[in-house]
Formats: sequence, structure tokens, C-alpha cells
Amino acid sequence: MRRALAATLGAATIALPTANAVAAVERSTATVAAPKKIVVTKKVTGPSVDADRWGTVQINVTVRKTTTTVKGVRKVSRKITDIGGTFSYHTDRSLYIMQQSLPQLRQQALQSLSANVSIVSGATYTSQAFIGSLQQALAMANKV
Amino acid sequence: MTTVRPGLLRIEHVMGMPVIVDVRDEGVGAGPIDEVVSWLHRVDQMFSTYKDDSEVCRIDRGELVLLDAHPDVQWVLARCEALSRETGGYFDLRAGPDSTLDPSGLVKGWAVDGAAAILEAAGATNFAINAGGDIRLRGGALPDDRWRVGIQHPLERDRIAAVVETRDLAVATSGAYERGEHVFDPHTHRPPVGVLSVTIVGPDLATADAYATAAFAMGTRGAQWTATLDGYEGMTILGGGRVLLTQGFPAAG
Repeated sequence: MRRALAATLGAATIALPTANAVAAVERSTATVAAPKKIVVTKKVTGPSVDADRWGTVQINVTVRKTTTTVKGVRKVSRKITDIGGTFSYHTDRSLYIMQQSLPQLRQQALQSLSANVSIVSGATYTSQAFIGSLQQALAMANKV
Repeated sequence: MTTVRPGLLRIEHVMGMPVIVDVRDEGVGAGPIDEVVSWLHRVDQMFSTYKDDSEVCRIDRGELVLLDAHPDVQWVLARCEALSRETGGYFDLRAGPDSTLDPSGLVKGWAVDGAAAILEAAGATNFAINAGGDIRLRGGALPDDRWRVGIQHPLERDRIAAVVETRDLAVATSGAYERGEHVFDPHTHRPPVGVLSVTIVGPDLATADAYATAAFAMGTRGAQWTATLDGYEGMTILGGGRVLLTQGFPAAG
């Protein structure tokens, strides 16, 4: 069976370490032409990763890319605006485990991102599957 | 301005767990990562306790004598024996309640150490290999010049208990989590009491992992033992939530 995570996860705003780039651009003075700003929002999906005997997890992130051009200098910033995904499960027990753990894993992912942590030692295999799919999605978000 | 994450990331399900290979060097290419993945599958084939035809299962059933086994199998089993002596029997090949031959507590770390050697031989100097939460690190998480590793909070899944900041190091954590209490005190054949998790850092993952398992199996006495280790540092989280660090443990502020 396969289910969407979106309802469990909800919307979230988390900043990649690159998000500060915008502030530097906004300091442009009135003497230069108005900066050109292009905003693109895209959803990228990580791979489906086995979560031990419980099923699989596939995480997606929504990234908002802002490209600003000031005096011919292009600056790009990216911001993660949502985490979602889908999971599969084999039995009622694994559905229960997934529904219990995924909101917590999302919470941990938010904490990890804000602490600039990309690896977690000692976590369960479900966590590692979540982290793996998320890491790949974040790597892809960085190339949008 | 934007810090694009360089390199390649690969996730492979092998040895019963997701293994994440994160290479940050540009120009290393997919070849060495393919080589790592096939190495891990070869190790699994030789050492799996779930595959009836693995050398380890055949040795356990008495169908294969140690001297006829693959040199890697001989080496790993000998290393297990040495670590068992060094840890006063707390790292034990037959610690589980059914007492079958199970070197997987060492094999995972040893396989990852081998994978790191493959990447280094291919010129990689900035990478992380994460095998189900046991990690071997080299260089930095480019564009950052080091790696920041979260240590799982043993009671609350939505939290990390600490952050380790480092460059060239292996990080292994032993605890009782979702998979059930899979570490046993080999002397009592029961899970240890009074300790929630032990993290060991040091130069090689196989040894760090074995020390983490042994220290966890020792229960509340494990923390004191980790302070005696040469070249390895430990973080022990006790039942009451107390955290004990050895002097050189690289906890980030």
C-alpha cells in the first residue's frame, strides 16, 4: 500500500544555509537600475528508500529559487518552503510505525537543517531512509 | 553567492540497511561509487547471517572450516576474537540469545572502512559514508570544511541529542531503538540496564562500532571503560538523561 505523507507532514518553511544571499542583493542603492528578480518554485523528489522491514519512504522538497540581477551581476538564492512525500507499508503494524515516526522524523529533519547537520548517528533504519531520501532531494533542490 | 553542493550522492540498500555514500569532491565521478556499491554487496554475500549460502552461515553449520574460508572472513573472525578479549567478552560473536555465529557487529564497520579506502584510492578527500547510522567521514561537507553529525536522541525521535563536528573520523552509536533491544550483555544474555546509548568516535569504524557495542553492553560501567580507550573517545547517555563525555570527545558547542 502506498500513501501520501503530505497530510501527516503539513507545510513548513526551512532555510537552506544559502538563504542569506538575498539580503546582500537588497542593499543596492537608488542610483542603479531597479534589480531584475525572477522567482521560480519547483518540487523535487528524492528516491524511494527502503525503511528496514516497515516499507519505503520517498521525500520531496519544494524549493523557491530567486534570481536577482543587479548591474549585470546575477545572484541566486534558494529556500526550502515545504517537505512532503509518500511512503509504502506492508501491514497494519508498519502503517502504524510509519504514521507514528514520520512526523517526528520531519521535526528532526527541521532541527538538523537549522543546525547544519546532514548526517545522524545512531538513528533507526526508518530515520536513515528518511534522511537518505531527503538528502538526495536537497541535493537536487540545490541544482534547480 | 549561492553554495551549490558539489559531488555525488548515492543511496544503496545493502546489508539490510540504507547506505548513503556522499562524495563532495568534484571530478571523482560515478566509477568509484559503483565500485563501493559492488564491494558492499560482495561483503554482504560473504558475511550475511540471513543468506544460507554465505560463508559465515556455512561455517556456523560446520560445512566450511575456517582455514578454507575467504581470507577476509578469516581476518574478520580473528579481529572479532581479538576485540572480544580486549573488551572482556562484552563484544561477543555469539552474544544473542540464540548464540549463532554473528560477526555483523564488526562487518558493517569493516565494510565501510573498505569502502572509504576505495574512495581514497580514487582521489576522494571529502566524503561521508553512512551505513544505517554508523559513519565514516573524511575532509569536509564541501562547501563547509568539516562535517557536522547529529547524535540521535535515544528517547525522543524528533530530536538530536548532540552535534559532533569533525573532519577525519568514524562515528558509531549503539543503543536500543526501533529494531528492538538488539545489544545483549553476553554474560547475562539480557539487554543492559541503565544506559540509553553510547557513541564512540575514532580512526576506524569497525573498532569504533565494536567499542560502542561493548560499552553499551557493559551498562552503567561502560562510560568509565570508554575513558580508558586509546585513540577513541566516547559519549554515554545514561537512563536518567545524564550525558558523560570523555575528555577529547569532539562535541560542537
